[in-house]
Amino acid sequence: MISRKSIVILLFIPLISQSAFAQELVTSSEEALGWLRKITNAPRQHNYLGTFIYYADGHIETSRIVHMVDQDGEHERIEVLDGLPRIVFRNNDEMKCYLPEGKKIYTEKRWFRKFFPDLLPQLTNDIDKNYDIKLGKRERVTGYDCQVMTLIPRDNLRYAHKFWIHSDTGLLLKAAVITGDGIVEQFAFAHLEIDGDINSELLKPNQTVLTEEWQTTNLLTSMVNEGELAWQTSKLPAGFKKLVEMKRHLTEKQILVDHIAISDGLATVSIFIEPITEQSPPPVSGFFSSRGAINIYVRILDGNKITTVGEVPLETIKLIGDSVFKQEQLSITNVTKTPKH
Amino acid sequence: MKNKVSELMDGELDQQEAVNIIAALKKNDQLRENWETYHLIGDTLRQPSKLSINVSHKIKAQLINEPTVLSPQMPQNLQRQKYKVFAFSIAASLIAMVTGWIAIQNLYQPQQIMMAERSNKESMMPVVPVKVSNPPSSFVYQHPPVEINDYLFVHREFLPGTTAQEPTTYVHPVNETYERYAR
Repeated sequence: MISRKSIVILLFIPLISQSAFAQELVTSSEEALGWLRKITNAPRQHNYLGTFIYYADGHIETSRIVHMVDQDGEHERIEVLDGLPRIVFRNNDEMKCYLPEGKKIYTEKRWFRKFFPDLLPQLTNDIDKNYDIKLGKRERVTGYDCQVMTLIPRDNLRYAHKFWIHSDTGLLLKAAVITGDGIVEQFAFAHLEIDGDINSELLKPNQTVLTEEWQTTNLLTSMVNEGELAWQTSKLPAGFKKLVEMKRHLTEKQILVDHIAISDGLATVSIFIEPITEQSPPPVSGFFSSRGAINIYVRILDGNKITTVGEVPLETIKLIGDSVFKQEQLSITNVTKTPKH
Repeated sequence: MKNKVSELMDGELDQQEAVNIIAALKKNDQLRENWETYHLIGDTLRQPSKLSINVSHKIKAQLINEPTVLSPQMPQNLQRQKYKVFAFSIAASLIAMVTGWIAIQNLYQPQQIMMAERSNKESMMPVVPVKVSNPPSSFVYQHPPVEINDYLFVHREFLPGTTAQEPTTYVHPVNETYERYAR
């Protein structure tokens, strides 16, 4: 007959074994990590020119990309071909977005990524800690042989990703975000030329842009040192770290918004803290979803609207949004123009 | 009488004898216990052994040393303990079911609602986030304020596919809520 003591011991066995497994985290293979390094390095080593497609929620958007590498670094032009025209020029981390319809130019400093196929410009160990990286079979994408890679989240705080990596150069030719419902968002090249000669004229704004009157707005005013913003995060969900703190304009408005960027090595989350003024519309708190993998959480705290946006599950967005608090003493005296990374 | 029970199980009795022994089984507790024990033995014999180790010699030795007690009377305190373990396992199962149900409600309900909203969207509509719920868990369907597009535009770093229009400004008066949300 099993004694009470035995029953108690049996009940604790799963708990003990679970904690033992948690401590012994299995890392991805060295070969898989090598492919990640290839993805990071490829845009800094190769020229390319082509057309890629963004697909999410039945919406398709085509963009033309020209990417050139020289002794000064990376130079890129991305022109959105569907809907309202939009052209983005990028010189390393300096970005200019032209909106011809409104004759507006928005300038910005790249703080993480987002320029397909350069989705991993900053490779850290965090990606291995948060995702189980597995290599799949070889597949062809737009005529090129690719290595398929899946990044399976180690917990339910993030989505899965799938990459198709050009076997020779490491360039990302296709990337998908996957949830339990399947692919929710993907980028894929439809046409691509790698390592051809690039005419540098393609990377400059045309004469119309140079001659006409355009209104320029600098969205990013400054990157500040960590902990300098009045608003901070207390306890972020497991695997997420603060990337950078910024003060910025959202549009032409004079009011400055605090922006905290957070990442788990692959997915990014932004927290915007904006004071509620008499001129601003009444804020609507709650959870929202947007195209693709984006989720949004708006909450009101101490006369400010806190908006958390990111390509992570709604539960993660809420945890990050709820971690925001206001520091007792505001110290923005040491504002610096130098980015941290 | 025990032999008759055994014969009944083996189908060796004629109809009248079977009726008689079944009537006796109904009245006699000891016979019924024999009936149950024989069935247990029969079931065990019919099932192929799934044990990977041979313990038959140990069992045989134990049977020689011990008197054959087919239905041992369980001590009173042991029975209570058995019921406690049984009740505990039932309670644990119920807690697991309720916890699982709550977890499923919390984890999957918002996503189900999101997908339902998305399927109704026009594919070429500009990006307009859809309100999913109010914290903590009550779900309200309404269009969110367009100023969220400003945040998306900045968060995605001008990424194609996310914001089809230029960033919006606060041009709508406070009282024109519906117009502001309708985009």
